[in-house]
Amino acid sequence: MSSTNHVLLSPAELAYLHASLSLTPPIRPDGRAPTQFRPLVAETGILPGTNGSARICFADGTEAIVGVKAEVERTVVGPEGEGVIVEGGEGEVEEGGGEGEAGWVEMTVEIPGVRDDDSGTAFLAAMLSEGLLADEGFVRRLWINRRFHWKLYLDIILISPPLSYPLPLLSLTTHLALLSTRLPRLKSEGDEDPFFDDDWAAAPYLFPRPNGKSTTFVSQTRPPITLLVMAVGNNIIFDPSKEELAVADVALAVSVTAGSSSSQAPSKHVPMDTSTEGRNLRLLSIRTIDPPSRLTPPGVANAANSAYGANAGQKTTHEAQATAEGEAVEGVWRAPRGGAKRMVLGALVQKVLERGGVVDEVLDALEGVDLG
Amino acid sequence: MSSLKRSLDRDPFAANISSKVYVRSTKSGKVQKIVREVYLRQDIPCSSKLCRACLATAPQDAAGRPTPFVLSEDPAGTAVYPQGHYLVPDTNAFLTAMDLFEQSAAFYDVVVLQIVLEELRNRSLPLYNRLIGLTKSEDKRFYVFFNEFRLETHVARDEGESVNDRNDRAVRKAVAWYAQHLARTGAKKVPAVVMLSNDRDNLRKAKQEGIPACSLADYVKQLKDGDKLLDMIPETEDQDTAKEKRPGEPLYPEYFSMSKMMTGVKSGLLHQGIFNVSPYNYLEGSIRVPAFPKPLLVLGRENINRSIDGDLVVVEVLPKDQWKEPSTQVIEEDAITKNENPDAEETGDIVSEKERKALQEEVKRTHTKTTEGHAQPTAKVVGVVKRNWRQYVGHIDQSAISQSTQQGRKQEVVFVIPMDKKIPKIRLRTRQVAELVGKRILVTVDAWDRSSRHPTGHFVRSLGELETKAAETEALLLEYDVQYRPFPKTVLDCLPKEGHDWKVPQSMDDPGWKDREDLRGLLICSIDPIGCQDIDDALHSRPLPNGNIEVGVHIADVSHFVKPNNAMDAEASIRGTTVYLVDKRIDMLPMLLGTDLCSLKPYVERYAFSVLWELSPDADIVNVRFTKSVIKSREAFSYEEAQLRVDDAAQQDELTTSIRTLLALSRKLKQKRMDAGALSLSSPEVKVQMESETSDPIDVKTKEHLDTMSLVEEFMLLANVSVARKIHEAFPQTAILRRHGAPPKTNFDELANQLRVKRGLDLNVESSRALADSLDACVNPSEPFFNTLVRIMATRCMMAAEYFCSGTQAYPEFRHYGLASEIYTHFTSPIRRYADLAAHRQLAAAIGYEAVHPSVRSRGRLEAVCKNINVRHRNAQLAGRASIAYYVGQALRGKATEEDGFVLKIFSNGFVVLVPRFGVEGLIRLRDLAEPEPAAEFDAETYTLRTSGSREVEVELFQKVRVRVTDQKDETTGKRGVKMELVSVY
Repeated sequence: MSSTNHVLLSPAELAYLHASLSLTPPIRPDGRAPTQFRPLVAETGILPGTNGSARICFADGTEAIVGVKAEVERTVVGPEGEGVIVEGGEGEVEEGGGEGEAGWVEMTVEIPGVRDDDSGTAFLAAMLSEGLLADEGFVRRLWINRRFHWKLYLDIILISPPLSYPLPLLSLTTHLALLSTRLPRLKSEGDEDPFFDDDWAAAPYLFPRPNGKSTTFVSQTRPPITLLVMAVGNNIIFDPSKEELAVADVALAVSVTAGSSSSQAPSKHVPMDTSTEGRNLRLLSIRTIDPPSRLTPPGVANAANSAYGANAGQKTTHEAQATAEGEAVEGVWRAPRGGAKRMVLGALVQKVLERGGVVDEVLDALEGVDLG
Repeated sequence: MSSLKRSLDRDPFAANISSKVYVRSTKSGKVQKIVREVYLRQDIPCSSKLCRACLATAPQDAAGRPTPFVLSEDPAGTAVYPQGHYLVPDTNAFLTAMDLFEQSAAFYDVVVLQIVLEELRNRSLPLYNRLIGLTKSEDKRFYVFFNEFRLETHVARDEGESVNDRNDRAVRKAVAWYAQHLARTGAKKVPAVVMLSNDRDNLRKAKQEGIPACSLADYVKQLKDGDKLLDMIPETEDQDTAKEKRPGEPLYPEYFSMSKMMTGVKSGLLHQGIFNVSPYNYLEGSIRVPAFPKPLLVLGRENINRSIDGDLVVVEVLPKDQWKEPSTQVIEEDAITKNENPDAEETGDIVSEKERKALQEEVKRTHTKTTEGHAQPTAKVVGVVKRNWRQYVGHIDQSAISQSTQQGRKQEVVFVIPMDKKIPKIRLRTRQVAELVGKRILVTVDAWDRSSRHPTGHFVRSLGELETKAAETEALLLEYDVQYRPFPKTVLDCLPKEGHDWKVPQSMDDPGWKDREDLRGLLICSIDPIGCQDIDDALHSRPLPNGNIEVGVHIADVSHFVKPNNAMDAEASIRGTTVYLVDKRIDMLPMLLGTDLCSLKPYVERYAFSVLWELSPDADIVNVRFTKSVIKSREAFSYEEAQLRVDDAAQQDELTTSIRTLLALSRKLKQKRMDAGALSLSSPEVKVQMESETSDPIDVKTKEHLDTMSLVEEFMLLANVSVARKIHEAFPQTAILRRHGAPPKTNFDELANQLRVKRGLDLNVESSRALADSLDACVNPSEPFFNTLVRIMATRCMMAAEYFCSGTQAYPEFRHYGLASEIYTHFTSPIRRYADLAAHRQLAAAIGYEAVHPSVRSRGRLEAVCKNINVRHRNAQLAGRASIAYYVGQALRGKATEEDGFVLKIFSNGFVVLVPRFGVEGLIRLRDLAEPEPAAEFDAETYTLRTSGSREVEVELFQKVRVRVTDQKDETTGKRGVKMELVSVY
């Protein structure tokens, strides 16, 4: 589904919404704080046949299910040793080519009422898998030995009608499903054909959890999450509802991961440690999303509206049009134009990566879900 | 939002549902998580005849009768459980001591838990099959209780609990439930329910929970005659103590992990194959692997690494500097390890001093060799994929028993020497040494630790005194895995109700006559060996008006009596073939059919399956047809009678003339076959003559060959070929055929070289025709037997013929090399071979006589049948030969004769002589030649052994020698065999 449909607001309503979101502090239609998420209900392990699964239900009635299936696949080694995996000190691997590894995760997104080759759906899937693949620590976990790796199939299904842009919902559900994913325990050693323990109870988690739950998570890595953040004026708003998105100046999909420590982060990712509490968050990817606001019909200022006697003022139609497309008139809706402002983008990213900030809050909340 | 998961608290039926989660790895390398829902029920009966409650809910058959309960209402008691008891063994009890449960002295009323059965199947399929056999036997009263599906006994796995612990808990829970359940029946004497386990932890927990439990040894001690049974408990009881006992270095290299082996095999670095031990040298094995045309050699204990003949092993090729020639020495285990003490545990060296010496000589010899490139690649065993251990027949090595312990009941360790020389000595712990010495005993191999030089095993049962006919015959049958137990009732139930009174129905309207031709008017006769009771073929011929000749081969219509897929058919397909021993016949089909109803006896009407040809006077087939028929044989001749009759010019009756016609035709047929390149092969065949009353062997005779034998043979071949064509045409994918692969040329390398060097003869193996011709050329005018000798040796280079399902091979592969026939099957002996029976069914379907039965069509099933009958066929041959060898030994007992023999094989320290008169081969070692052992010079190039010193002779291959044949009881194998001494060299 595209981010651009289903906006059924009049220009006046849009203008009102935009105005109230531009206030400091912004006033959101549902009364949330700018960084506050909508309440959600989550559970894991709902599909017994999968390696991991989760379901999340947002309060607005949108609901998604994600199932993760893993399969053993032979690693194809390129002719010139491209993509060759070199064993590191901790039995981990350095990636060589990287292209080979994108194939290790296959993601399908299904949105009811939308064709699966719809550009919006494809874009959603791309964004979600991009976030996963950008985290090389994640792909590393799928390595079995030089010759074999796990291939993950993530099946993401939105089971409710797409009431709002489902990116955050799908991302959080995927995150939770991956958290609950277990892979059979490897019994063979070295580069042998893999041979697994047939005891499911012995299967380790893809993202191993420390023994004591809760607070000791700091050093542990987690699957990445992709958040939807938007800005109206200088205000940064998290988890926007459909209506809010309709007036966004900028909308960004930001993928972050809670890296264990900065030492692990390669140099191309700038560690964004801003405080000493909470997790080390790493930025994985950013994508701007074309906000639906761009396609909204503009409002017409009274001055230009003939019904309000615009023509009576003897202005030429030429002038009236100039007003409509030119400078903004206070209180009259006008679709945002141009790219995002650099300052706003910077602030936005800063806000996301804030220690003890929104992301931490979300991760904490998901941490609390029992991985039964 | 409510959860989508099945909530266990609110669902009233939640208690009835459980699930089982596990990981399944498929052959193709896929790994799947499998979730199975388990629906728990309460109507699974306890099957105790004491219980009324279960009877009400027990499953019923179609007639509404509940299935009869198994466990006795009055089970036997023991010293500890005088009120009677039911046994509930856990998995390791079955794994370690299945033989105990098969005892008839004890172990009745056993509850086999489903969880135990499943675990057993995963661990050992043969043991599982034996247990299934036990549960089917009515008198043993074994009952399979599906504890996993019964609500009360189902156990969910706790968090952090290992699978084994969970299964043990399930066993304990089932035991506890049984006890409670039986207590509720209100019976006067409630039997105890006793868990049997060898797992210390499990026993301890049972004790804590107050569940009656015993270790196997403790339990057996409670029984009468327990001491005897104690031997059947293998000694691997306590792994921990065993480890403490021998802290010494492991003697053998450790096996690779399964996954490492599989990876290696897949990548072609390791090779998988069946391990075969050389019959002459127990330290030399060979493995035929798909990657190489010639087998790989495995030399020495360390490289053999605990594999036993028949195991499926994985080997690694050794570096080239360790390649060797196959040994030219005879090395027998008993001779070299004679004085080993089974009790004294190995002192850290697997290769004993003497073995090492033998090896040195080997190396010396290899090094003195001038010709390079003779060395063959060698390999070492790195792991065993599948053990192929069976029960072995042997006897206790008397030399290794200490005198002091000959009496008394003390447990002792002895060596058992298996009858089969390829099997290593087995260490055995027993309390009944005194009783077992001098007996044929059956033992099972339990394990072969890295730290033990010999495998360890346990005693199963005694077959009787050595050299008694009963014991030796049974030993033979066991060794060759011949099913010799009487037919079970279910099989006998399949026989016609009329029994011996069965007759071909009088009325032609009877369904038995449907589509049957009435051939009672034909002059049919049968020709068989003397005393043959299961006559499955008969013949006739008559001239046709057009100058051609009608020839009919009539085969017993066994498929009329043995319907597919009934108990009799299943039994026959397992037996595969009738086994002929010298004094005994082990039938494939019950006597009633084999020797009466199916047998084409003279003067009575019998159902038959007829192949009728119209042959031109030159024995060309004009046409052929197949029909079910009714025949009446006019006479049952023996070969000799028939021969006499044919030779007697005075006999001019119609029957004799027709036999003469057949004989003339058969000669032409044979000539045609020979022209096509059929081989006339040879194996030394003898016949043992028995005294009629006591059936003691009195003399040995070589079989004579009569023309009438080849008469029957030719027409049987003709019938088989004709039938093969027909069924292949009708069922191109599933016809059951017989092929004989062309032997690889390398098989003949040795023989060709020997002939070239010794006789200047050339062996051409390009085709069967060329081989036949060059075999014909191998004659020595002064020694008529030489040709036969070469044929015997050539036969040993051949592949074995095999049954197969036509869909598994390409048409050119159907070829029968020996018979030089494009296509071949077995059709003519359905009474004694299952393949023929299957061919009958296919032919009946092919001519539209009956509908195609699914079993005739299913390729998978037919392949399994072929595989089994190939093995059975081979075993039957081996058993037959072994039986003859035994009786030859018995016939020679106490006699010494001088005979002519021929040198068949030559080693650096001995040679093998074949004595055609008795059809026996004997090994003459250097040390047998004279005392002290003469020095010898062995020239492998010219196959000559020259001795000097105490006795000077020169022996070479193919040489005719004079040997004295006596009987001798081999102290080591306990076999009475022939012993040969060299008298002189011609």
